[in-house]
Formats: sequence, C-alpha cells, structure tokens
Amino acid sequence: MGVVHGQEMVLNIGPQHPSTHGVLRLQVKTDGEIISEIKPFIGYLHRCFEKHCENVTYEQVIPFTDRCDYLASMANNFGYVVAMEELMEIKVPERVEYIRVIMAELQRIASHLLALGTFGLDVGAFTPFLYMFRDRERILDMFEMTCGARLLYNYMWVGGLSHDLPIGFVESAFRFLDYFEPKIEEYNNILTYNKIFIERTADVGVMPADVAISYGVSGPNLRGSGVKWDIRKDEPYSIYDRFDFDVPVGIGEKGNLGDCWDRFNVRLTEMGESIKILRQALTQIPKNGDVHQTIPKKIRPPKGSIYKRTETPRGDLGFYIISDGSPIPNRLKMRSPAFTALSVLDEIGRGWMLSDVIAILGSLDIVLGEIDR
Amino acid sequence: MSDERDKLIAEVVEKALQGEMDAINNIEDRVTRSKAKAALAKAKRAQTADSSPQIEASITGESTAPNTLSDNPNQKVGERISEKFPDSRDGEVADTHIQLKPDQWNEIAAWLKTEEDLLFDSLQCITGIDLGENVLEARYNLHSMKHRNAIEIRIAVSRDIAQIPSIEQVWRIGDWFERETYDMYGIRFTGHRDLRRILLPEDWEGWPLRKDYEVQETYHGIMVPKVKEGWE
Repeated sequence: MGVVHGQEMVLNIGPQHPSTHGVLRLQVKTDGEIISEIKPFIGYLHRCFEKHCENVTYEQVIPFTDRCDYLASMANNFGYVVAMEELMEIKVPERVEYIRVIMAELQRIASHLLALGTFGLDVGAFTPFLYMFRDRERILDMFEMTCGARLLYNYMWVGGLSHDLPIGFVESAFRFLDYFEPKIEEYNNILTYNKIFIERTADVGVMPADVAISYGVSGPNLRGSGVKWDIRKDEPYSIYDRFDFDVPVGIGEKGNLGDCWDRFNVRLTEMGESIKILRQALTQIPKNGDVHQTIPKKIRPPKGSIYKRTETPRGDLGFYIISDGSPIPNRLKMRSPAFTALSVLDEIGRGWMLSDVIAILGSLDIVLGEIDR
Repeated sequence: MSDERDKLIAEVVEKALQGEMDAINNIEDRVTRSKAKAALAKAKRAQTADSSPQIEASITGESTAPNTLSDNPNQKVGERISEKFPDSRDGEVADTHIQLKPDQWNEIAAWLKTEEDLLFDSLQCITGIDLGENVLEARYNLHSMKHRNAIEIRIAVSRDIAQIPSIEQVWRIGDWFERETYDMYGIRFTGHRDLRRILLPEDWEGWPLRKDYEVQETYHGIMVPKVKEGWE
C-alpha cells in the first residue's frame, strides 16, 4: 500500500459564530486538528467611520466614536475629546476631569468583566459569565443614571460633559465598590485558579514581548507579555498623574510568559487597580463646578494636526486629527487597539489545535466594531 | 508502540528544529505526524519563550541610557537621517514631523528600528491623506518603547505614481496598516507580500477616502446609496 498523505483542509469560521465575538471570518488551514495558517477577513461591520467624519462637524463625531468600540464607549469619547482639547488648547474644570476619570475607570471594569466572562465562555465555563454580567449590570445602571444611556453614551463633549453627575451618584458608586471588591476573590475561586481553566489557557498562545511590540499590540495584551507599558502611567493625560495605582504585568505564573492565562490575569488584576483609582477620585472630586463652562460655542480648531493616544480597556487608542480651520475635520484617523490585536492572531495561533485558537482569540479581547470602524 | 512513537517524535522534532522539515513530513502514520507537528510547535514556543525574558529586560529594564532626543525628537532624528542617508529628506526641517522622499524609506525604516540610540520599535499608526493638487501622503507615527520618544515621518507621492516602499517586514503591524491605507487611498506599497483590500470587498471600485471619490452606481446589481449632502 502506498503512502497516504494527509490532506490540508481549508475551513471557514464565521462570519456568524458565537466565538468570533462579532462578525469576523477566519479562514483556517488545518492539518487534522492542527492549524497551519489563519487568515482573518474583516470589514463585515465597516460603517465608513472615517468618511463620515469628513462630512460632519467636530461635535457630531462623538456619537460615531461611541459606536466604534461599543463595549467601552466612554473610553472612546474620552480619547477623542482629549485629542480635541489638546488641539484647541482648552483647559477643562477640575470637576469635569474627575468625572471623566471616574466614568472611564467604571467603563474599564465593565469592559473587562465582559471580556473575562466571554473568554470563560469560549473555553467552556458558563457560570462565571453569568456572575460577571450580573456585576456589569450595576455599572450600566450607574451610567444610565448619569446620562440616560446604557451602552452608547455621547457623554463627554469637547470642553465638558453632557450632564453633571446626578444627586447620589458618588454614594452609589462607593456602595458599588464596596460590593464589587470582594467579588474579585470570587472570580479567582470560580475561574482563575480553576484546574480545568488553567489547563485550557496556561502555555497556550504564547506571545513573546518582541512579537507583541512589532505587531503593535497594546494594553492588557502587551502587559500580559511582561512589558510594563500603560499610557495612564507613561504618558499621563487628563489627571491620571494624581492617582496612585500599579500597572499589573504578566509573570508567567502558570506557564510561559505571555500565554492566555497571563492576559486573563492581567485584566482581572487591573480591575482591582481601577477600584483604587475610583476610590481616590470619588474622594477628591470637587463638590462644585459647572460642566458646561468651557464648552466652546463653535468648534473651529486652528490649522494643524495632532496624534494623541489614550489607554482604553483594549489598549492604545490613537486619534490622528487634521484640521484646516473649518468646523469639519479634514481628516480623522482612528488607530484602534483591537485592529492590531487581531493582526497578531496568525503569528501566535499557528501550530495550535482548533479549540486552542478559539481560546487565543478570546484572550485577545477584540471588538469588531472597532476593527472595522 | 507508544514508547517507540515518542522516541520517533523526539527524533524528528530535533531534526526539524535544525531545519529539516522533511523528517516530519515523511512520517507515514497520520496520527504520529500530527503529534510530531504539535510537539514541534511546542518546542519552538519554548525556544522563543526562553529568549523572551532577555528581550523583555531590554525593553522594561530601568534603562539609564541618556535620552538625547527628549526635546524636539523630530528635528534631531531628522538631522541624523540626513547624515546617514544624504539626499533622502524632502523639504525644510520642521519641529512637528520629518518629511522624506519615498526612495530610501525601507532602508531608513530598518535603520530607525535597530539603531542603538533611536530604537523606534513600535509603529503606532499609518495615516493616509489626500492633500489635493494631485498629492497623496502617508504619515507614520513611530514610538520607541525604550527611549520613550515619538516621531512622525511624512512621505508625499503624486497620484500618478502613488508608490511607497513597504515597511511591512520591518514592523509587522505595517502589514495591516498598509493594506488599510491602500484600501482607502490607492497608495501602492511596493514589496508588500499580500497587498489586498482589507475593509472593503475585493472587487470594490475606487479609493473612498480620496476627496474626489464618487460612489459606484451599482455593486453586483445592487444600488449603492449616495452619500447625502449636508448632514443635519
């Protein structure tokens, strides 16, 4: 009998598939169960964000940024207004800065809860997902209390905010933190140190630091590979330089440095750091201040361009804004962290089994709205 | 049987690590071959993981190397480029950016990434722009993780010969960034190994972010809605 060669098979995952976290198609080449190549096909959710921006005024761009990363809209608003204010040299009141930081950190917790929950779901742990959504709901309730929206807020405006904090917000935020802080221990017990979870994630999808940097990977994914890089610390914007917090990095506790477990653990630890920032901000926030005080009547930035980065839950979000002096942007480019995170999938996913690739994709925490824009 | 197989796998993985992939591909038993490939992948990961702590130390290590570029890095790096690559600059020295000619961009990029006191190891963003008057421009925001400097490179090309050397193999993220810029502006990145549209369908016509772009009438027999004038 002659030699029977195994045949490589091309398999499509998606565009409609629960573990692709949106409308993403992966064309994988498999040899048996081993993946030899992954080609991501994106663009199914392309809504011409950048083209639209060239047709609307600067204020009208903000709702579009909401819809890019729809799981961390506050952070996207924040990134855009910080860039615009630097371009226009606006200094916003103290109270506005504090409210922005509070919202951004609450959003970080909410976004990480979703990322961790769905990652658990991807590797077969259903219960933690429900626990995490239960807690995320309380954050969304607080956002709803503030601006009436649960997911797409249009809350931060250039030079200010759409609403001041409602009466009783600070107290309810403290109540939430008191409730939430012990829950992190609960997640550790139920998921992080679960034997099956460790087996599925430790040593899987190892991303060395130099690969991560070359691929422009940022945020928790980069820190999972042991690189201590956080824009809130290293290039502080807004008032982040006033708060005392740590930047957790992966140390390869359960396997090699930069595996799925490290990325997971960085996100989980980061929620604790967000709680630290929130407690400080909620204590220091000035009692009075008008959140509409510095909103310009007409937004006409001077001629010029700016590239400004901020740290969203997913990593470095950059806005490149070119102004020609008119009230409409000449060019607005968004550098999204999930875009770069997805591009590394082929590099770190090769040679693993199909089920591991699903785990690796889950650990990268991508949002297709932001990739396709 | 199982011992024999393990031994065989260990042997071929050893060979494959030295570059002889045939050893694995010639295994007749399908299951054994798959196992050998999995073992090879694991071995390769282990190798890279072993070397990564050093890399990591060089990146995160509290380096006390003098940061000679801290004020006005664009101008200083621009001067360094002029010294090393004469006749590569385009236009006057500026504080905000470095304007380059496209010809030597690939070599300059590789040099910027590896030169000891520059080390721009992270490509943050590539932005395409239609400047009007038949000129397209690509802007590269670079960042050094070690020295914490950021510079901006600008390369302008004419629409008729919209070609810029690809830096996809210098910074790997350049792959997708260049594909996006190509998709939106039609700038061809020469030397790119897989230059396809990324966000739009493969058979879309035109370059949407050019200022004079007009939407095609129909796409596969479907009417394409026009962009409305004056958004209110």
